[in-house]
Amino acid sequence: MMTQGVLLFCFDTEHTRYHKILERCVRLVKKNISKNITVVTNFETFSRMSPMGYIEYKFIEPELGNKLNGESWNNVDRHMSYELSPYDTTLVMDIDYFCFSDNLKNLFDTEYDFLVPDTAHDLTGRDSFDHRRWSMIPMVWATVLLFKKNEKVRKIFDTVKYIKENYSYFREMYRIYGRNLRNDYLFAMALQQVNGFMGYEKMPFALPTLPRDCEIIEMTDNGLAWRYKDQISFVKDQDVHVLNKEIANV
Amino acid sequence: MDINELKKQSDLSYDRAIAKRNALEKANSRLVLAYNGNLFRADPQTICIVRTLKENNSKFFILDTNNNPVEINDANDFLNTLIERNQEALNAYHQMYETFTRKGE
Repeated sequence: MMTQGVLLFCFDTEHTRYHKILERCVRLVKKNISKNITVVTNFETFSRMSPMGYIEYKFIEPELGNKLNGESWNNVDRHMSYELSPYDTTLVMDIDYFCFSDNLKNLFDTEYDFLVPDTAHDLTGRDSFDHRRWSMIPMVWATVLLFKKNEKVRKIFDTVKYIKENYSYFREMYRIYGRNLRNDYLFAMALQQVNGFMGYEKMPFALPTLPRDCEIIEMTDNGLAWRYKDQISFVKDQDVHVLNKEIANV
Repeated sequence: MDINELKKQSDLSYDRAIAKRNALEKANSRLVLAYNGNLFRADPQTICIVRTLKENNSKFFILDTNNNPVEINDANDFLNTLIERNQEALNAYHQMYETFTRKGE
């Protein structure tokens, strides 16, 4: 029997209690996706987590990640998803992607080898995620990935590893504007290469995303509300990728 | 004209426009469904082509959201699934639309 599940990565940092974000994420995955969950973490983070019901854990020491505004986050282990996932079909999600709907569950009922979204919807209406201007190839959002274990997908992950090891070269070659190593760029480049520079299959929707300058003021199991400048807005029953890590304290 | 009233009206219109935009995006995401192992969008174009094709044959080929050809063996079931999802998404959009329309009254 083919197995299906969700793979999540979670490592606390000096500044952010990511395990708090994970606890919210897991609750929503259990409610709306209803699949097995595996959390990749380290012992330090694991020791702070509250009980979340039946979950599998994989322990690794995270590679040193990026820094933004002096705060670090450990987010560069995504390339290990293929080896770390115990499932035949895996949905990899950032833990700050909150699935308030069951839309992603659809993806498990498909035969695609590898799916990734290539657009994001800015919930504040500012269209601030147009990555095409930031490189010479279309970018993807590695916030959410669906993959099946097979030879072709293994090659995609092998290519991601190779590009990561030689990142400065590939960053120059693809004229990527940002200097930080980002999973979005890694996967965009790897998918271009493995698919013969001819495009690849994508998730047919934009990821609803809240930019970093939005303050989350309330979050329930059905949706969340945020403040941007003097404007307060909310979404209900709609997935949201929250970039402001202060959500750990909401 | 009272400039404060104008600003209030402008802010309200902006909030409603953003809420409408987000609700429409939510509806568009909801239109995506998996059928026969492929993804389809339950939008008017898909519904219309399925209805047209099924007039001649209960089996036909159609493109999924990634332009892969898919054979549909049960046209009625597929059409019903598409219509059901389309109306579910638009009903939710309508409810949200009513909410932010009332907010402006």
